[in-house]
Amino acid sequence: MAEYIKLIDISKCTGCRGCQVACKNWNSLPAEKTTFTGSLQNPKDLSYNTWTLIRFDEIVKDGKLRWIMRHDACMHCDWPACVKACPSPGALTKTDEGAVVHNTTYCIGCKACIAACPFDIPRNDPALEKMAKCSLCYDRITEGKLPACVTACNTGSLTFGLKEDMVEKAHKRAEAIGGTVYPNNPKYQTHVLYVLPAGITAADLSHTNPNPSMPLSVLLWKNLFKPFTLIGIGAVAGGAFLHYLTKGPHKVHEKKEEGGE
Amino acid sequence: MTNSWNDIQYSDCIMIMGSNAAENHPISFKWVNESRVKRGAKLISVDPRFTRTSATADHYVRLRSGTDIAFMGGMINWAIENNRINIDYVRDYTDAAYLVNPDFKGPIDLDGVFSGLKDGKYDKSTWNYQVDENGIPKQDPTLQDPNCVFQLLKRHYSRYNLKLVSTICGGDPKEYEQVYDVYTSTYKPDKSGVIMYAMGTTQHTYGSQNVRIFAMMQLLLGNIGVMGGGVAALRGESNVQGSTDHAALFHILPGYLKAPNASQQSLQKYLEDTTPKSNDPKSANWWGNTPKYAVSLLKAWWQDVPQDQAYMYLPKNQDGVNYSIIPLYGAMASGKIKGLFCWGMNPAVSTPSSRMVRRALTKLDWLVAADLWETETSAFWQKEAGVNPADIKTEVFLLPAASSVEKEGSVANSGRWAQWRYKAVDAPGHAEDDLWIMTQIVTRLKALYAKEGGAFPDPILNLTWKFGKPNKPSSREVAKEINGYFIVDKEIVNAATGEVTKFKAGDMVPGFALLQDDGSTCSGNWLYCNSVSNTENKMMKRDPSDPTGLGFYHNWSWCWPVNRRVLYNRASVDSQGKPFAPDKPVIWWDGFTKSWKGDVPDGPWPPDAKYPFIMIPHGHGQLYAVGMADGPFPEHYEPLETQVQNFMSSQQVSPVLTRWDKKAKEETCDPLIAEGCIAAIYGTEDSKDYPIICSTYRVTEHWQTGQMTRWLPWLAELVPHQFVEISEELAREKGIINGQKVRITSIRNIEGVEAYAMVTPRLKPFVIKDKTYHMVGTTWHFGYKGLVTGGIMNDLTPFIGDPNTMIPEYKAFLVNIEKA
Amino acid sequence: MSAHEENMVRITDVEERVVHWVLAASCIFCVITGLGLMFHAWSIIPTMLGGYYATKLMHIYSGVVFGGMLVYSYYMWKKDCEFEESDLQWVLKAGGYLWPVKDLPPVYKYNAGQKAFFWCLIACGIIILVTGLFMWLWNPVMVPVVLARIMYMLHAGAVVVLAAFIMIHIYLGTAGNPGTVSAMITGYVSKAWCQTHCPRWYADRNKKAE
Repeated sequence: MAEYIKLIDISKCTGCRGCQVACKNWNSLPAEKTTFTGSLQNPKDLSYNTWTLIRFDEIVKDGKLRWIMRHDACMHCDWPACVKACPSPGALTKTDEGAVVHNTTYCIGCKACIAACPFDIPRNDPALEKMAKCSLCYDRITEGKLPACVTACNTGSLTFGLKEDMVEKAHKRAEAIGGTVYPNNPKYQTHVLYVLPAGITAADLSHTNPNPSMPLSVLLWKNLFKPFTLIGIGAVAGGAFLHYLTKGPHKVHEKKEEGGE
Repeated sequence: MTNSWNDIQYSDCIMIMGSNAAENHPISFKWVNESRVKRGAKLISVDPRFTRTSATADHYVRLRSGTDIAFMGGMINWAIENNRINIDYVRDYTDAAYLVNPDFKGPIDLDGVFSGLKDGKYDKSTWNYQVDENGIPKQDPTLQDPNCVFQLLKRHYSRYNLKLVSTICGGDPKEYEQVYDVYTSTYKPDKSGVIMYAMGTTQHTYGSQNVRIFAMMQLLLGNIGVMGGGVAALRGESNVQGSTDHAALFHILPGYLKAPNASQQSLQKYLEDTTPKSNDPKSANWWGNTPKYAVSLLKAWWQDVPQDQAYMYLPKNQDGVNYSIIPLYGAMASGKIKGLFCWGMNPAVSTPSSRMVRRALTKLDWLVAADLWETETSAFWQKEAGVNPADIKTEVFLLPAASSVEKEGSVANSGRWAQWRYKAVDAPGHAEDDLWIMTQIVTRLKALYAKEGGAFPDPILNLTWKFGKPNKPSSREVAKEINGYFIVDKEIVNAATGEVTKFKAGDMVPGFALLQDDGSTCSGNWLYCNSVSNTENKMMKRDPSDPTGLGFYHNWSWCWPVNRRVLYNRASVDSQGKPFAPDKPVIWWDGFTKSWKGDVPDGPWPPDAKYPFIMIPHGHGQLYAVGMADGPFPEHYEPLETQVQNFMSSQQVSPVLTRWDKKAKEETCDPLIAEGCIAAIYGTEDSKDYPIICSTYRVTEHWQTGQMTRWLPWLAELVPHQFVEISEELAREKGIINGQKVRITSIRNIEGVEAYAMVTPRLKPFVIKDKTYHMVGTTWHFGYKGLVTGGIMNDLTPFIGDPNTMIPEYKAFLVNIEKA
Repeated sequence: MSAHEENMVRITDVEERVVHWVLAASCIFCVITGLGLMFHAWSIIPTMLGGYYATKLMHIYSGVVFGGMLVYSYYMWKKDCEFEESDLQWVLKAGGYLWPVKDLPPVYKYNAGQKAFFWCLIACGIIILVTGLFMWLWNPVMVPVVLARIMYMLHAGAVVVLAAFIMIHIYLGTAGNPGTVSAMITGYVSKAWCQTHCPRWYADRNKKAE
């Protein structure tokens, strides 16, 4: 099965937010009751009902004003922390295509994925006790369609295609405009890539993780504590059995009131 | 647009000025980005605010709102000084060589005005070209004669030096020079640049001249008629091109025929007055065909009536009287207008000084609104509007209308492509499409007039309305009438070849060259003649192939005129018919087959047989335009409301404005209107109370007055509140913090309009001659109806219009701002 | 008194026994459901309990019971489990469990191992309780994610320690020390048992009885 990547070319984004609305449209997500946020960014953050958000960052760097609009949604990690953290099989799955897909039917609302995500993407509805996030339109891409956001993008900022092609395209474009690819970490691959314009790094932008990795806490939890729970129980049980065999039970010696008083 | 949307991909430099295309024409950026990626094109954004367009541009320069002519005049001056003009193109294809009346004087001689100014109007008798005995303009191909257009232009703009221009505009001269350099680099024959403009250009008291100076710049650089060139008027609505083509305006008839005046009491007189003449055999003078188009139009409307009589049916404008939207509400307030149809329009929010407009609506006997939702206009009598419904006597009818996807018809985009759209779903409830509503009204009016008679019933009784059954009219039938058909059998002889073509009554006219002035053809709009043939409606074509390989897509929809995708394309080739830009030709002459290849040429004649600008009487692009009400060359004036002195001359504002504020003071106007049309004039005490420049605009997420988008939850959530953009400096001065509520006032609304403050570094004060001028910006999307509501910003805007078009000056006026 | 009863000493009261077993039951239930949630291979556990969401709820509510009992037991047993100097000696000699020890310091009511278990239970239990409550109730909008990550990790980390200790506790309370389990069932242990396991307390009790 082929792996896919969604490429987000920030230098071509005009912040029209067509992707944001297309996401709601395809996924039938209700509008939120929003308030004035002090910028054009609205809703203010991702939510259970907002899986895609254009973030507006006004950055003054080297005396030059930049206004960066960034399509923010799930990065679809190759080694997804959310899936690792998820206790309920089927609630979060990494598919062969590279999409990390959630299924609210199986979600138990434990919020472990929210704590685990290195990009702070999953959002929960406390009342429903469910989480939700971008699914890379898994239901569309498996039918040969583009994700809804990519379909809506008219400026060419969002493109979608085979992993190898997109990686090459991202690096070529970055080179052409003197920009960078983010995240550009062979040890931490994602199925969403950004091309950042010249002079802008991930650290300049809001809600990014310049050095994404599987959180140490998740590694300790899942790779150490989880096995050690069983190992500990087993070791003690084994030790006890051995003790019983070698030393025997600690017998009470019937002694007659010796020397006590 | 002289070209089309996808033509932008061929541009080498794109200047977006007076437009925020990224926000308001998002799709255009598909092609803007295409040219940047494929051709390495540079994108320039010139704007008072740092917009979403500026954010993605290669170069951004800012200018004070309303100083476009100074900025562009500076560019013209810089281009001439640095030999950055396409001199062959200028000499051969423009009127640069024409000699002008030696009595003509310009602002350089007359301190800011042109010769002939009298009582706030120009007598243009000194403006004309010098003509020879045949009436053909005299020319000096060396361009050296001091009275030739080129020398006059050079002299006129010699005052627009970098220092003065940057002072007026409040920008950095170094940045300006850089942008001048980048843009004028398209002067090379094989390079092209496009200027994209929209309402930031037009909504000024010299808006038409703002557009003019773009056209002049493009002519000087040889950028008209070529691929990736042109002047790109970005129309603000999906079908506003269609609405102007079909004349939803007071001063023109469909196909840009002039509206008749009261003094033109016969068809003959009208045609004499409006048909331009040229004796130059090389000038195609296409408007010389006006009689064919006008007569065919009359036959489309009143087929069974002789055209001379039909002409008498046409309502006439009183000579010299303006019927634009601005005086309309005066007439309403004074009771001259008793009824109003508002068809998908929301003047209670969209018009300047709209509070006054809402008051004028209360004087109506009746108002009919056809809309998708209840708008502020159809609800002007409700409590939300701040009035007592019991006080209002106007009878209001709200007709539920079908939306664009609930009806069939054509939409003409900015690139003049008429594209057929099919009905996707049934309209909900009792909503009906516009054609049905109109047909019902016409049918019932006809019946009433037939039964009861009345004043002058003939125009209605005799009106041709053959669009199918009254309860099931078809827009396909309308399309046929717009294209035009033969009313009687007709044989047409081709004057050149002697070939005879026979047409039967009912045959579609194949093209406007075959329209007749004898009443044998009808055509609802000559420009759309060729859009429907006997066998097909070409607007329905959806063939994505590109036979020429040049990006014209001739079989995708249909484009007026005669499917020509680039206007004035004869200007893209030399006298041999060879393209100036061989890598991106529009047309070229095939010497072997003796025919043009590429796009549909501007006329079949061989190269050099005709001048390229076929719509202009003498055939040359006009650097010098006598037709303008406010001067043949654009000259910098300040907006009506400004805090800055005009440093170019002592003529502060355009001398030919119709000053409604003065009329108000003289109490010649209705008192209702008087209150709403006063202005804070430069230098007066009034202007001191309103020190801040304000501009109104739109955002991507909302549409016009928000009458459609504020009812859609997914869009309402994106921009839920009225806001005003404020610079950090002004915010500090006023103690305003981001997200706080503020009140904006203008002299026309001292109570003010509330909005949220969006404090941003994207706005910066302008420092001009050591004085700081603040600017704020706000949207006009909000009103009191819808899922989200907010203050109506047009309650603040001034009641003043451009002398040519009366487009209101929404883009530069004075306000004050305080914490609410 | 029957002969049997004469030989027996009442070492726990009803309150203690009830608290012990409620605490033990809720704890073990939490461990079982927790393991079911942690190991996808053990989906049999959530399946039997009516699905993962139901398992989560049971885990949470039994956790609440565990937490309540934990706090209660803290106040009930903390006096008995205060460490004293001789505990060190006891520990150095591994309580006589691993090699033959002659002079084991006499224990009062609970030996150092039991005390250590109690404090481990309290410490780990509090961590599990606090982190568990956090995981149940935290609002991602208000809480820094770093804190949340630490909480999820600590919850699992504390279990590793506690689960192992519980196994020791179970062994030593049953097979490892015959005659002990009755302390938490009937409340009585034999006098001999007392002599062995809590000689000082036993002496004290006898003194008081006189």
